[in-house]
Amino acid sequence: MNRVSLTSSSEVSTQAVGSVLAPLACAGDVLILSGELGAGKTQFTKGLADGLGVLEPVTSPTFNILLVHEGRIPLYHFDLYRLSSSEQLDDLDYWGVLEADGIAVVEWGDRFPDAVPPECVSLSIGIVSDDERLLHVAGVGRRGEALVHEWARACADLPGVTITAEDTL
Amino acid sequence: MSRLLLAVDTSTEVTSVGLARVEDGVVHVLDGVVEDAPRAALSRVLPMAQAMLAGRGFSASDLDGVIVGRGPGSFTGVRIGVAAAKGLAHGLGVPLWGVGTLDAIAQPYADERVLLAVIGDAMRGEVYPALFRCGGGRAERQAADRVSKPAVVAHEWAALGEELLLVGNGIRKYEAVFADQLGDRATFAQRERWAPSPVGLFAAWAVASTAGTLGDGDPATVLPVYTRLSDAEEAERERAGLPWVGALDTGVAGTSPARDIRLGGGETS
Repeated sequence: MNRVSLTSSSEVSTQAVGSVLAPLACAGDVLILSGELGAGKTQFTKGLADGLGVLEPVTSPTFNILLVHEGRIPLYHFDLYRLSSSEQLDDLDYWGVLEADGIAVVEWGDRFPDAVPPECVSLSIGIVSDDERLLHVAGVGRRGEALVHEWARACADLPGVTITAEDTL
Repeated sequence: MSRLLLAVDTSTEVTSVGLARVEDGVVHVLDGVVEDAPRAALSRVLPMAQAMLAGRGFSASDLDGVIVGRGPGSFTGVRIGVAAAKGLAHGLGVPLWGVGTLDAIAQPYADERVLLAVIGDAMRGEVYPALFRCGGGRAERQAADRVSKPAVVAHEWAALGEELLLVGNGIRKYEAVFADQLGDRATFAQRERWAPSPVGLFAAWAVASTAGTLGDGDPATVLPVYTRLSDAEEAERERAGLPWVGALDTGVAGTSPARDIRLGGGETS
């Protein structure tokens, strides 16, 4: 596992962090996203969607549970908040979608250990102040580690984004 | 007596629909469509069936029975296929029969002298493996459906020391795992043959019909084959002293890979 911590000074910067991930993403990549309400999970996902060339607006799929956005590759946006057990993941064809032709962003994926695949990237967003956010990124598995490595390099030059820590465990 | 049968399978990313007429112990496959429809089976399977019926001048009410591939495969896909077929058969008041999805993949090889190794993608790093000894008009299943790790299956199959023809959508992710273990004893089938075809579904039905293992046609008793969930279910059944139902009884009889499938003595229509 490797980890990167970075700060973002604004919503726009948080979106940019998502946006630079888009060209690096491959079919089958999974991002487990966590953070309290208002932390910027949706802002981040908007940036990613924008980078993938998604034209429609991105909203949190709180009630839809899964929203699919067509871009360079499909963006599968899950919100597992309303599930009551991991057995319901089967009802969603969760693994069928994760292993399909797009990148999956899973909000509240950390609620169910079952929902976290062996190869993924986890991103947790913490609120520092009104505008500033602290992002912790962790790459799990060979693909997850490689993606985090490339992603951190792409974030290094973004305005309003500072990498505060980077380590490999 | 002549019967018009519809066959569907949505267990994989491919939606398979076929129409056949059974007459004097022969299954004449009238039409078949295999459509790439990843995660779109729900919206495709019934319109495809309707279009196929209409294209031949039939409507749903002309059907005398429905055949469904009951897995194993994608959990959601299997459920969509079985639910749609149950609704259709129940609504029309006609029999519903379940056949194994891997059997439907294997049956078209009945006339090729090969040891056929079917590997269905089970997601989450696992596969549904099944061996069929094929040739002389038969595709004989060697073991019941199960779920396992590709490396474990590859190791088992390598230990057989035989040449294998591999087929199934598990190849997409795990071709290297099997190629490594089996070396030049492995041949991989072309992608067009990985999915259960309409002809394969009818052939699997004909085999079960001949063997008398089709069941009574009651739509309520046709169940999906999940294999993974069945661990808990089987433990429960075992505790209750009930017989094991996960296995597909795959009695064999003469089938032809041609579009006309001859039924053996078990056909009672």
